[in-house]
Amino acid sequence: MKKRLISKILAVVVTVSMLSGCGSATKQGDANKATKVDGKPVTITFWHGMGGNLGVALNKLVKDFNASQKDIIVTAQFQGDYDAALNKLKSSQVSNSGPDVMQCYDIGTKFMIDSKAVVPVQNFIDNEKYDISSLEPNLLAYYTVDKKLNSMPFNSSTPILYYNKTAFKQAGLDPSTPPKSLTEVESMSKKLLKKDASGKVTQYGYSMPIYAWLFEQFMIKQGQSYANNGNGRTGDATTVEYNKNGGGLTLLNEWKKLVDSGSVGNFGRKTADTQNAFMAGNTAMYLDSTASLSAVLAGVNGKFEVGTGFLPKVSDSDKGGVSIGGASLWIMDNKDTIKQQAAWKFLKFMVSPEEQAYWNANTGYFPVNKKAYELKAVKDNLAKYPQFQTAIDQLHASTPDSRGALLGVFPESRAAVETNIEAMLGGQQSPQQALDKAAKISNSAIDKYNRTNK
Amino acid sequence: MDEIILAKQKITKLQLKKSKTNLKTKLEPYIFLFPSLLLFSLFVYYPFFKTLYMSLGLTNAHGNFQEFIGLQNYVEILTSPDFINSLIVTMKFVVFTTIPSIVIGLLLALLANNKVKGLSISKVMFAVPIAVSSASASIIWGMIFHPSIGMLNTILKTNIGWLLDPQWALLSVSFVTIWMNLGVNFIFIFAGLKNIPEEILESSSIDGASYFKKLFSIIIPMISPTLFFMVFMDIMNAFQSFGQVNILTNGGPGNSTNVLVFSIYREAFFNGRFDTASAQSIILFIVMFIMAMFQFRYEKKGVHYS
Amino acid sequence: MENKKSNLILLISNLVVGILIISPILYALSVTFMTSDQIFTMPPKLLPKSFYFGNYKAVIDTVPIFRFIFNSLVVSIAVTVGQIFTSSLSAYAFSFYEFKGKKFLFMVIIATIMIPGEAIIISNYLTIGSLNLLDTYTGLVLPYLTSAMGIFMMRQFFLTVPKELREASIIDGCTGFQFLTRILMPISRPIIGSLGIYMFLTTWNQYMWPLLITSKPEMRTVQIGMSMLQSAETQSFGMMLAGIIIIIIPSIFIFIMGQKQLIDGMTSGSVKG
Repeated sequence: MKKRLISKILAVVVTVSMLSGCGSATKQGDANKATKVDGKPVTITFWHGMGGNLGVALNKLVKDFNASQKDIIVTAQFQGDYDAALNKLKSSQVSNSGPDVMQCYDIGTKFMIDSKAVVPVQNFIDNEKYDISSLEPNLLAYYTVDKKLNSMPFNSSTPILYYNKTAFKQAGLDPSTPPKSLTEVESMSKKLLKKDASGKVTQYGYSMPIYAWLFEQFMIKQGQSYANNGNGRTGDATTVEYNKNGGGLTLLNEWKKLVDSGSVGNFGRKTADTQNAFMAGNTAMYLDSTASLSAVLAGVNGKFEVGTGFLPKVSDSDKGGVSIGGASLWIMDNKDTIKQQAAWKFLKFMVSPEEQAYWNANTGYFPVNKKAYELKAVKDNLAKYPQFQTAIDQLHASTPDSRGALLGVFPESRAAVETNIEAMLGGQQSPQQALDKAAKISNSAIDKYNRTNK
Repeated sequence: MDEIILAKQKITKLQLKKSKTNLKTKLEPYIFLFPSLLLFSLFVYYPFFKTLYMSLGLTNAHGNFQEFIGLQNYVEILTSPDFINSLIVTMKFVVFTTIPSIVIGLLLALLANNKVKGLSISKVMFAVPIAVSSASASIIWGMIFHPSIGMLNTILKTNIGWLLDPQWALLSVSFVTIWMNLGVNFIFIFAGLKNIPEEILESSSIDGASYFKKLFSIIIPMISPTLFFMVFMDIMNAFQSFGQVNILTNGGPGNSTNVLVFSIYREAFFNGRFDTASAQSIILFIVMFIMAMFQFRYEKKGVHYS
Repeated sequence: MENKKSNLILLISNLVVGILIISPILYALSVTFMTSDQIFTMPPKLLPKSFYFGNYKAVIDTVPIFRFIFNSLVVSIAVTVGQIFTSSLSAYAFSFYEFKGKKFLFMVIIATIMIPGEAIIISNYLTIGSLNLLDTYTGLVLPYLTSAMGIFMMRQFFLTVPKELREASIIDGCTGFQFLTRILMPISRPIIGSLGIYMFLTTWNQYMWPLLITSKPEMRTVQIGMSMLQSAETQSFGMMLAGIIIIIIPSIFIFIMGQKQLIDGMTSGSVKG
């Protein structure tokens, strides 16, 4: 009797799942075959890595698009974080079950270009002579190689300094003047340091997560390149240069000095941990992406006043700007021109002033479209939270030349930098050793990549 | 004569029936094993051989096989200090998690194995960690370990970087793993305890045996099949622990928690190098296989079946 | 007198240890009722100021969590039933039969435990894709309908059952299969219960596999739902822990229900009968 019950359940489950299996299979089939519109809307899939409040905001944008016209329906599907989404993309290409639009992070740019599985956005721009003058030039520059724009920047950010204005006042520092260089950071941190009766630090002056993105930004600030061949943009990079051109050494020396001073905290590699420390008042200054601003303001909830400033220079003489972070939207080449056109329409919508205004107000990423600044939503948001202005000013103060490097093995290269900085801060190796070790790993990875991906 | 023919017919009929049933009995085990073996072939053995194949070549960023290079990947890995580090970290991790998991699981089972009324709630509490996924457990413990807002430092009045200090990170991750294992260990060992016939325990009490004597000469031998199974699974699970490392420490700080399976994940899904990741997987498999061989040898000596 | 005292000690120690074990979850529960500024404060607080439900609301607004719970239920139940079925069959073969290749087959099955999941997951994704089973319950369930752990566990238990029982059943005219279903399985209730609970919860806690196999929001499972609460730029503990609590509740509930089965199975007929 038990056996019969079990087999009944099994039968039901299998039948149910077969039915749903049938349903989805047909839909898949239809989706792949739709070359005629026939009065029915074209459906395209959009894979992204936006979770939390970002995902909610993104879904609203997609909903707006679907409601704004009747020819195209976009289905947005969350595929895990950026790494997981990219891995799924790689696997899906074997079985042709990939998306039509893909959101890929900045450091995956070279991979996407090399994969030859995308249709460069430039094609569509040229075809209809689309006017891109209202889009931020620095953002376009990052995703442009050989005068070809490959993907559409969508959620872009820059690194900024967050600081606790209330703590500044308490320490006798001017709350409207954040430090401009790491030297100033060091002297201010000494004043901001607070300890309790037992000698345990309750407030560090400053902290920066061991995040390789910040390392790259500091290289750009110093006007130094990360890799050769024009940072991988005039030709494929073959080696990294940060360990040879002195930029890395100056930075790491400064970094070590800061942490050794005792007034700078080290909360590890996860930016979220340093962010939590800032919100809890454990550190009075920290570095993070502009995209975290709304979350930081919400987390602080008025406990203290939050200020923002430019990314500090490494040395006072630095003249460089900053590059961007975040992700962009790619049109995948599924050999279906109707879907590609639909994807292009979707991309144009996503960078329109109104949608970018909503996106900016609800996330903290700055608008890709300059026209968004004229809209009330953005103006109101800036009036309410002037801290948002810093990132915008910093972006405009940089030139397109300060765009970051292109590497097919960026994730691995970043991890090498982070692990070795970690070991350096733990006293296990000198700055130059850290740089050389990281470079060795990066170079071997670059070498293998170039060999296997001709 | 007729009777003899009839008798012979009866005998042949019986023999036929017997051989039919004999054949059926002979085939039965294979039939029973068929569903599992089919599923394993498709979803374990086939991918495994694919992995073996990939470990002998070069793959591109998409995971496609490019060219055959023999054992080069293995040489590269076995001479890399990072890989040796991963091996050592993994072995440490296995020891740090398995022994406490079994011991505490046994203690919990013994504690719960009594006739006191109203204790079913405590049995549920002992097993609760089983209901928590490794991701959930890691997020909760990650918060408790946090350097600024973490509860642990506050309660213990310490200032330890549980996940940031290379001295502590592996211990912290092991601790979380042990907590996660408690539920499973408790449930299975408890089930094993419940199967010990009452009479044996009662009669030994009448004979005047102390609790510890009962424990070591009766209880543990009688549940040794369960214990063996549990130790085996704890060790194998330790080798495959991924979620906690991924969320709590990402293999750091300074590779101090970079267990083998995490290194494989990074190599495949982060660095995009399926060839070396496959080679690492094969090596991990061999290590686990050797461990299993040792354990099964011990099974013959130390485990008692009725 | 002696008994009462030792009973009391047992009672208290059981409860204390139990609460100690679940304390992280109780703490998480407490945090879910805190607003962000209460969470990000030094030193951290044990209890919330009041019952703030915003985190739970945020979870429900951000992800279709109830659909995910339903999907996870379907998948977990299917896998559990399938595993009990296939594992008992295979374990039965290993414990009550002698046949050619028995040792080899057992080794080969145990060997599957040692094959790291990460190594084979992509290949299985491609296999399921080629069977056109992406985004289906079948695809989610199929590779997990059997496991070496289940087979191993049942085999361990079956080995403790005396062979005389089987011989007696043969005399009574039972076929092999009938012995399994009519006699062996009923006395294995505790082990089946343990295995069932374990398999259910393991499947409930899967992340990587459902993430690969499903893309449509309607087909996703709870752990993916939880990862959807995390964003790249921040870590909102309140909402994340609320999501965790929401998905722990069904699993604890199932566990309590399964526990009853376990206890019933243990106190009803067993080998000693």
